[in-house]
Amino acid sequence: MIGTIGSFSVIIAFLASLGAFVFYFLAAQKENKSFERTAHLLFGFHGAMMFLGSALLVYLLLTNQFQYFYVYNYTSSDLSNVYLWAAFYSGQEGSFMLWILCSFLVGMGLIRWTSDTYRAPVMFFMTMTHVFLISMIIGVTVFGVHIGASPFRLTSAEFAHLPVFINNPSFIPAEGSGLNDLLRSPWIIIHPPIIFLGFAMMAIPFAYALASLWKRKYHEWIYPALPWTLGANLCLLVAIFLGGYWAYETLSFGGYWAWDPVENASLVPWILGTAGIHTMLIQKRSKIAHKASIIFAILAYVTIVYQTFLTRSGVLGDSSVHSFVDLGLYNQLLLFIMAVSLSGLLLYLLRMRELPSPENETPMFSREFFMFSGAMTLLLVSLVIILGTSAPIIGRLFVANPTPPQPQFYNDWTLPFAIAIAFLTVLTQYLWWNKYKDTETFAGVLITPTISASIITVALIVVSGVINIIYMVYLFAAVFTIIGNGMVMARLIKLTPKMIGGSVTHIGFGVLLIGFLGAAYDTPLLDRSTINYNAAVERGEIFDEDGFRVYQTMDVMKLDMNVPKRINDRYNVTFTNATITHENRPGEQQYRIEFEDLRTGRTFAVHPVVYPMIANSSAGNMSWTVDPEVRMGWLRDIYVYVSGSSLVEKENNRIENQTTFQAVADILMNGYEESLRNSEINNLVRLRPGSTRQLGQYNIRFDRFINMTESELPENAVVGVRARIEIINLQTRHAEVHEPVYAILFEDGVNTIYSPPLSIESFGFDVMFETIDTRTDEAHFRLIGIEEQVEDEWIIVAIERKPLVSVVWLGTFLLMFGFSIAIYRRWGDERKAYKRARHYKDEQEIADKAENQNS
Amino acid sequence: MKPRVIIGTVAIVLFTSLLMWNFGNSLGSYVGFEEAETSGNRVHVIGKWVPDMPHGFDNQRMVFNFYMEDNYGQVRRISYNKPKPNNFEDAESLVVVGKMRNGVMLSDDMLVKCPSKYNDASNLEMVNL
Repeated sequence: MIGTIGSFSVIIAFLASLGAFVFYFLAAQKENKSFERTAHLLFGFHGAMMFLGSALLVYLLLTNQFQYFYVYNYTSSDLSNVYLWAAFYSGQEGSFMLWILCSFLVGMGLIRWTSDTYRAPVMFFMTMTHVFLISMIIGVTVFGVHIGASPFRLTSAEFAHLPVFINNPSFIPAEGSGLNDLLRSPWIIIHPPIIFLGFAMMAIPFAYALASLWKRKYHEWIYPALPWTLGANLCLLVAIFLGGYWAYETLSFGGYWAWDPVENASLVPWILGTAGIHTMLIQKRSKIAHKASIIFAILAYVTIVYQTFLTRSGVLGDSSVHSFVDLGLYNQLLLFIMAVSLSGLLLYLLRMRELPSPENETPMFSREFFMFSGAMTLLLVSLVIILGTSAPIIGRLFVANPTPPQPQFYNDWTLPFAIAIAFLTVLTQYLWWNKYKDTETFAGVLITPTISASIITVALIVVSGVINIIYMVYLFAAVFTIIGNGMVMARLIKLTPKMIGGSVTHIGFGVLLIGFLGAAYDTPLLDRSTINYNAAVERGEIFDEDGFRVYQTMDVMKLDMNVPKRINDRYNVTFTNATITHENRPGEQQYRIEFEDLRTGRTFAVHPVVYPMIANSSAGNMSWTVDPEVRMGWLRDIYVYVSGSSLVEKENNRIENQTTFQAVADILMNGYEESLRNSEINNLVRLRPGSTRQLGQYNIRFDRFINMTESELPENAVVGVRARIEIINLQTRHAEVHEPVYAILFEDGVNTIYSPPLSIESFGFDVMFETIDTRTDEAHFRLIGIEEQVEDEWIIVAIERKPLVSVVWLGTFLLMFGFSIAIYRRWGDERKAYKRARHYKDEQEIADKAENQNS
Repeated sequence: MKPRVIIGTVAIVLFTSLLMWNFGNSLGSYVGFEEAETSGNRVHVIGKWVPDMPHGFDNQRMVFNFYMEDNYGQVRRISYNKPKPNNFEDAESLVVVGKMRNGVMLSDDMLVKCPSKYNDASNLEMVNL
């Protein structure tokens, strides 16, 4: 019932958006106010319907109505309300709804704040995007063509082929399949809404640019478009930052950026938006940028739709970690991108000859020229990234079944552009705020930042030990940007503090560049023996049991409990504790690893987490995942995760041995302590002569059997042997040799085994030579009393040093701060201009009326 | 023709050809195990994990070993030099990047294709049993 209302509300919203689309067209074409009012009503109504549909979907999610496929597929009854709410946009259908809702709110803002000249055409293009977006989730079949995937479709319809639904069509699953554990993180509450707000806002410059072409008002549109573009960019930036931080801090992706297509999907529009912001600023003063502003505004949105197409149509398939599965939207998405790009292209071509262009060539030595070059460089960067991301399509020109390009491709090509942009920001900022009478005076002004940047760069190179020549140039460019823009900012802050947005942003860019360099120096921290082993592997000196050369180096280490290892000759690390905390989910484990910095003498502990992914696990097949712990520092982070442990293995064994049909979560919650009590800690060691085994902190080496002489044999013994064993305490290096006895006695007509426990006082346990397995020639020794001291606990741990990650975050914050200042300033300007225009228009109308009355 | 236009055109042509050349070189190709064996190069192989065969983390060599069946039905051991990735058991397919040596795929990069655990019908199939 609710589902039917929901489906209908989406369908009605679609029809209303179509209506608004038509009326906005008529209103814009005929400049008719009553059409425009109708269109506003329809637009508002379609938004109300979308809110109704979304509210119903959220209601279904909150009330666990698993008869709906979307609810079944993304939630389960154990989820808290916060994650049930987040499940609203965890799937593809819901994320389209979120996008539409964001865009609707932004659209209401546009209706409120856009001037009369542009309102109808701008809203026409905004509504166009809504028509396409809603069509993705409408889920109706028209003339045999299926349009969209409805979030309200039923589980029984989705799995109609399964016997359970054939036998009983009204069957309702008792439990949903649950939200992926990786998504059960607070970040999912905030990250997607911001990114979709950014996507929605990036449609505004697009709509303004097309409206300006349509209405032949090529200049004024940039004033309202500028703050919106800045806002869209700020949203994308925050979303990119949150995504990167999430990936780095909790998802163990290994870093904050991987050039994944989904990441690129928000980066490219951000770069193009940035280019657009700059050309709009030029446009205020010169005519060289009118065309470029329009092109960038169109491109920024086209790339958003294009990347949406790439990630949601299934084209990327195997090349991205988080591309969606094709919902059959391929054609619709293709149509969407065609509509967006063709409307832009056609309107542009139609008006191209009329567009303002400079009367004479812009001189090379001018802020406009430098700024324009910067914008073009940004365009080139985004073209490179688009090319790389499109590898599954464009790569077919080169190879069959192309893979995505290696990250090296992106790094190599973006680096020189970043250097160029860094220099251009300084030149442009200096020229922007000051006039210089010739090149020499300008060059003279630049001497101070150049020299100070050189000194600092050299110092940094010496301190950090960078030897790559390109990195040195890059480093200089970054320092030069910070100093050059910093000097401009220092001057501005005294005169007009609200104008420092640009310089703060550029300083942030320079800081980011320095931070990025750190990623080239990520290193695993390992102990000396592993480092030696890896060096031997590189030299080709290591062979496996079958005599084949070993090629793979080791980036992780094993740590035994309370046995410290020295890593990188800098830290002593000790694994001291492992506990099952159940903190955020059943079965969650926390480890404690202590670090001692040998250089500074400081100590600290990290607490990486390992947890079972319940939604993906069954009793026979547990799936574990890691939550790394990052120890942040200004210059370097220490990144630690536990990738395996004795505790995980114990838990796996315990769960596998459960024969009851309990839910995995229940097994995890209950009975660990009990099973620990009942389980026999293995104190039995089986050894062949000459072999060694480790038990806890002890190494037990079985040397050989010693046959007992007649005189040595105990009374009534038929046969007897002694075993020569050496026991070493690995921590104290204390070693002892003992010879426990095993004999067969013949007493009262029966054979009995004689194996007296031999007490080893210095170690505090007894050794018993229990039996001999004649098939394998193994002697069995039981170490009685070792249980109390031997917790045979170990972890496999990855410890990495990641330099300058904090600097990347700092740069990002500076960018955000700079953008915010710029939005504040540009929005204020735009409001003033709007009011002035309003006032002027009112006066004009009054004058007109007066004139009419007079005549 | 103005000199600016000429310089511009030459620059664009140079840039584009260099970019495309480098782009083409940085691409790999998805292949099967047999082709990977003959070429010996670093390649991408798509396949499915074979859960019935032995798998696990080797605490001695610090590699994760498992068997994978490629799209052509060939099965090989994969030796992955990192811990088992998240979502591994749940993956619909795997993309393993590495070189074939002595019949074993030595991999340092693996992509776990997990379609946001889409279409997990297994629970429902169990209901029927």
